[in-house]
Amino acid sequence: MKQQQEPRRKSFTKEKILPYIMTAPAMAFLLVFTFYPMANLIYLSFFDYNLINPNKRFVGWRNYYELFFVRKDFLNALQNTAVYTGAVVFFVILLALLLALWIRKDSKFNHFVQTCAFTPHLVAMLSCAMIWAWIMDANRYGLFNTVLSFFNLPPLRWLNSSATAMLSVVIVSVWKSIGYYCLIIVSALKAIPAEIYEAAELDNTPRYRLFFRIILPLLSPQLFFLLVTITINSFKVFDTVRVMTEGGPGNATDVISFYIYRYAFRHFRIGYASAAGTVLMVILMLLTAVYFRGLSRRVHYQ
Amino acid sequence: MAQIEFSNVCKYFGETRVIENLNLTIKDGTFTVLLGPSGCGKTTLLRMIAGIGPATSGRIFLDGRDITFTPPGKRGVAMVFQNYAIYPTMTVRGNIEFGLKNNKVPKAERDRLIREVSEVVGLTAFLDRKPSTLSGGQRQRVALARAMVKNPKVFLMDEPLSNLDAKLRAAMRVELIELHRKLKTTFVYVTHDQVEAMAMADTIILMNDGVIQQEGSPAEIYRDPNNIFTAQFLGTPPMNIFSLGERADVQVGFRPEKAGLSYEEPSAFFRRRGTIATREMLGSETLYKIDFPDGISVMVKSLQESFGVDEQVWVSASREDLCFFDEGGQRIRTGLDGLLAVVGGTR
Repeated sequence: MKQQQEPRRKSFTKEKILPYIMTAPAMAFLLVFTFYPMANLIYLSFFDYNLINPNKRFVGWRNYYELFFVRKDFLNALQNTAVYTGAVVFFVILLALLLALWIRKDSKFNHFVQTCAFTPHLVAMLSCAMIWAWIMDANRYGLFNTVLSFFNLPPLRWLNSSATAMLSVVIVSVWKSIGYYCLIIVSALKAIPAEIYEAAELDNTPRYRLFFRIILPLLSPQLFFLLVTITINSFKVFDTVRVMTEGGPGNATDVISFYIYRYAFRHFRIGYASAAGTVLMVILMLLTAVYFRGLSRRVHYQ
Repeated sequence: MAQIEFSNVCKYFGETRVIENLNLTIKDGTFTVLLGPSGCGKTTLLRMIAGIGPATSGRIFLDGRDITFTPPGKRGVAMVFQNYAIYPTMTVRGNIEFGLKNNKVPKAERDRLIREVSEVVGLTAFLDRKPSTLSGGQRQRVALARAMVKNPKVFLMDEPLSNLDAKLRAAMRVELIELHRKLKTTFVYVTHDQVEAMAMADTIILMNDGVIQQEGSPAEIYRDPNNIFTAQFLGTPPMNIFSLGERADVQVGFRPEKAGLSYEEPSAFFRRRGTIATREMLGSETLYKIDFPDGISVMVKSLQESFGVDEQVWVSASREDLCFFDEGGQRIRTGLDGLLAVVGGTR
């Protein structure tokens, strides 16, 4: 018995170590480029540090206190981000789903529509934002306002008015990402076997019940994935705001990422920006956890 | 009462003709099997009855009522699909209940029906399970229960047993026959498996290339084939068919199990001498392949296993077991005397 156990124990230790060796390169990358910056972010958020002066001054929770209780602009940025995220998540999922339902059948026209919808995804956000800044130009040169004036309607101030600026940014983001997410839903729709629809037809299923009771549950894994990724991406929105509005007018489109960027690289308040970054990270973690807790039971995996 | 009638039905998929000018009556209460090789149009026909693959032209009647343009859910038919097509996101109960809910059946009534049906198919213990946790046979039963609970006038089944293993398939075959006897509704069953068709059907409708080859009880079709296709599609191995030496336009055939083997020249009507080429021992019977000197070979299924390979034997068949077919492959039923004389002279 003992003789038999000896080689087994040896291979057991080997089995224990081998996986760590195999994953070591990937783990090293994660450590250097993900976990270290994360830890450093949290560390820096407790200091007063300006990139130029090498001396960091420990200030404890002061940065966080300032974020929430002294300055009003962080809470404003947080609120803007929430509004932006809510609007983008809602409209992207809704419109991508509707578009996908429309173009799910294979036809030349549908392929054309799908290609058109997908193209914005291939263009750099910066270029898109530039083009949209022109389209939404408040002067008569802007495309939208030209169209409006053609119908004798008063011009809108789009990006220049705090009432419509956020809406304008949302429109651009939705326009840009809808094709990509639509593609994911279309492929999920195509994976539903035709017999399911036929069986539903034989079951005398009304159209709305077909959609809500059969199609939507079958799409739930993809929709859940979309919900999580779009939420995270929207919370981190930066380039659209940076190019189109610079957070303005006033601070109507000031979002967290742009806020962090401003304080870190314009005011050189690294510690304060780190505190804002930490808050963003915690919010995203909480949100993702809530999604998984609250929704994963309603997601149907095959 | 649920008689199904096809009147001048055509079906094209684009340019491809699948069915042309088909007329057919499926009688009330029968277990009718649509049999044929793949691509013969049998599933197309079934889908027309269901309403999920409309006919290009022609009319379909159910109990004399024109249902050509009636939506599938309003026809009073239920279908069991080859891959079951169970709703994967619903529980077994949800699957069975779905059609009832759509038809606004009250809750108490629904519960009663589900209880009854799940009792019949043996799913009572699994009502709250998801289909993904069930075995193939259990999923088959869910599909069956979903069809039964609607109390349809017609059951449509599209190769429902083809995804089951051999043992389960045999068991389900018996259950379906019993179910039909109990419910006494019309069953229309599609299969390419002639053994399944022979075992289950009251009436077999044998199709090829969109055309009905023969319609009748399994025994009729087996014993009295109308053409070469029918003669060779049914039976394993298929009927031996070869042309007559002196009448090249006519072919003669007999079933392997109707032929006899002997060392001595028999007195049977048809007799020929040949060499045993192969011998397959199948258990209760033995299958021999016999080569005649002119290059023709036939299969003989015999209860005797004593004959050996390379032995010279006589193959014999009696007069009433011979079938004659013309150039077009159709059975010749009249004026056989001349032909029989030719066969009787074959040595």
